[in-house]
Amino acid sequence: MEISLSDNALKTFARCITCLARIGNELAIQVYSSQLLFHTINSSRSAYQCIALKPGFFDAYNVSGNSVQCSVLLKAVCAVLRTPITNIDHLTVRLPDPDASKLQWILDCYNGMRKTYWITCNVEPDIQHLSLDRQKFPSNFVVSPRDLSRLLANFQSSLQEITIIATEPSSLPLDASNEIGGKAVELRSYMDPTKDNDTLLHTQLWIDPKEEFLQYVHTGDPIDVTFSVKELKAFLSFCEGCEVDLHLHFEKAGDRPILMAPKFGLEDGSHSNFDATLVLATMLISQLHEGAASEPLAGATRTHPHTEERNASYMQQENCRANVSSELPSDHTRIWSDLSVSAFKSISPLEERRAQGETILNDDRQREMQRISTMQISGLTSVPGNNPIDSNVPTEKDHGQEPQDAMQDNGQAISQHHRSNWVDAEEDDEDEQDEDDQYIQPTPPYYEEH
Amino acid sequence: MEEEEAPDVICELENVQGLVDALTAVRWKRQQDAVLELSEHGIVLIVEESGCLQAKVYLKRELFIRYDYNARGGRPRFGVSLGHFVDCLNAFSVPAGQSISSLVQIQYPGPDMQLLLKSVDSLDASICAEIRTRIPDTIAWDYNFEPAGANPLTFTVKSAALKEAIEDLEWPGSSIKITLEPDPPSVSLRAEGHGDLQIDFMYYVNSELLVAFQCDHQASFKYKYKFLRATTSNMPSSVIKENRGSKLSIGRGGMLKVQHLVSIAKPSVSHPYADSVGYQQPSRIAHIEFFVKPEESED
Repeated sequence: MEISLSDNALKTFARCITCLARIGNELAIQVYSSQLLFHTINSSRSAYQCIALKPGFFDAYNVSGNSVQCSVLLKAVCAVLRTPITNIDHLTVRLPDPDASKLQWILDCYNGMRKTYWITCNVEPDIQHLSLDRQKFPSNFVVSPRDLSRLLANFQSSLQEITIIATEPSSLPLDASNEIGGKAVELRSYMDPTKDNDTLLHTQLWIDPKEEFLQYVHTGDPIDVTFSVKELKAFLSFCEGCEVDLHLHFEKAGDRPILMAPKFGLEDGSHSNFDATLVLATMLISQLHEGAASEPLAGATRTHPHTEERNASYMQQENCRANVSSELPSDHTRIWSDLSVSAFKSISPLEERRAQGETILNDDRQREMQRISTMQISGLTSVPGNNPIDSNVPTEKDHGQEPQDAMQDNGQAISQHHRSNWVDAEEDDEDEQDEDDQYIQPTPPYYEEH
Repeated sequence: MEEEEAPDVICELENVQGLVDALTAVRWKRQQDAVLELSEHGIVLIVEESGCLQAKVYLKRELFIRYDYNARGGRPRFGVSLGHFVDCLNAFSVPAGQSISSLVQIQYPGPDMQLLLKSVDSLDASICAEIRTRIPDTIAWDYNFEPAGANPLTFTVKSAALKEAIEDLEWPGSSIKITLEPDPPSVSLRAEGHGDLQIDFMYYVNSELLVAFQCDHQASFKYKYKFLRATTSNMPSSVIKENRGSKLSIGRGGMLKVQHLVSIAKPSVSHPYADSVGYQQPSRIAHIEFFVKPEESED
């Protein structure tokens, strides 16, 4: 097997390696007559990237026999590409025979130097395959890398997970859409309930997909997905370097991962000589469902007026901040405050449960296990067994019933609330007046509690 | 009243930065002891490590605006901390952009056998520094570089390329084997560790890379990576910018000599010794030599 490349293809190749190295440690290489595949997966098996390069991508593409496959350490490949790309005339990768123990990387530099690297390779790699049909994801959006980078810049740079909440834009009447602005998508920093989040900045960003996205597809009830930011940024840099848009496919929280791919100028992308996909596992528990699930507990442990006071105070604060910073109309603020209230509810019950000692510890452990287990991409072949999770199957099943029930209630509540507020203007006015009266009175007790 | 003895050497230098660059080139670790040897021809600074690596900086008397040598008997030799010496010289450097020239006087010995540095042409203030010296340890052996045979084994390569090659060769994590081949004329640097890397300089590929090449028979020797890296790790940026060449020679027993040239004078400064504007006489160049002993062959 021998391949060689130069010029712009070499630059793209270097970007591929850089992105892969930010995902995993080992590079699996498969060379077929029709294409060359690079695979990598991170150590926690929550991120998987595959890059396909067609023979036309290369200056020379020679494969003896049917196929060749091996794996090498990505840090060794990065050592090869430490030489500035602008100094490299062309790169040749050679595997003398299928059983060779070292993969040759030859750099011919413009200044006359030739550098030949022999990288130890594993000729029998355990290559993970993950095939997801991106057409089967019900929701997706296309965004330019620069725009998404600009949006992410609003979040704390050390943020580890982020939540995307998608709602149906077509449900808005045309007039209402114009008035409200059609902010159908929310980006929210994820707060791990098992960690101390006091020092973390919590950020929520509402987005009008018509303004920020090149394409947006979502129908039905609101959904959310929570996934890692680190890999997202790696892929974002890759797309920006290749001057292509980013296409993100998602379904819902739970055992369904998200899939990212570059969006080439042409619809089918058949004219491109390379393609890439990044699959990220999502958090098991929905941020929407978790908020609703905690509601019964809150009702059971607190008096009704007290709960209303806390919620009202929080909403009052939210309204003030929103109106001052973004001048959002009150109708919109009320709509999105529902989601904020859900998030708020998910925090206070946890704080209360911490006082229970042993119970809260067990709950924390369970959450951590769930988090760890759900961060593995489902459907991945050769996934090792996870005994600790298996031993907790009964508990998990019992716990899983409540979210399912709450899911339906929460969905219905949100849908009904959205329709009633968006359709009937008179009711909005009346509700607003009532809420104003409620907000003024309980403000002092809320701050005293803090 | 007894008359004061004249110091062994009083010299004055106009461009301190050039001297700092030259001395920094042989500074491969933070704490280094150096030996200064004074003679009527100039100053030689010597540093050494582990009996396997030695570096010399030759500062000819022509580099100095004034050079008064009054030592009687043998050539004065004294030890000094290289780090302290460089740091003190930096204190006399003129900030970039200023047109004021800084004249530094170096005198040895001082009243207490110290090395004295002083700015002498400042109108407002004067900077003085005293550096403690010590009696140098007797060097166990001197590096007598002898040709490998009747014909020299030598090549000159761009300093930037040499530096890049040695930096890349850190990845395998082992000693470096240098091989000179007469046919086709080429130089190879190879390291084998958890990965292998070979870097080839082909004489006929690019005449601007391998500037000169002399080899009548194959020669191959191994050197510890850290010693080879020391020969280029602190090469002044001026050497890279001026696109100079470094000369490497293999002597008897595989002794490697690496020679760099570092400019001391400012190119734009007009000087009485310059024949014409822009021309830089060889006397304005500091010569730096590294000597590296080969690794013992296991064969």
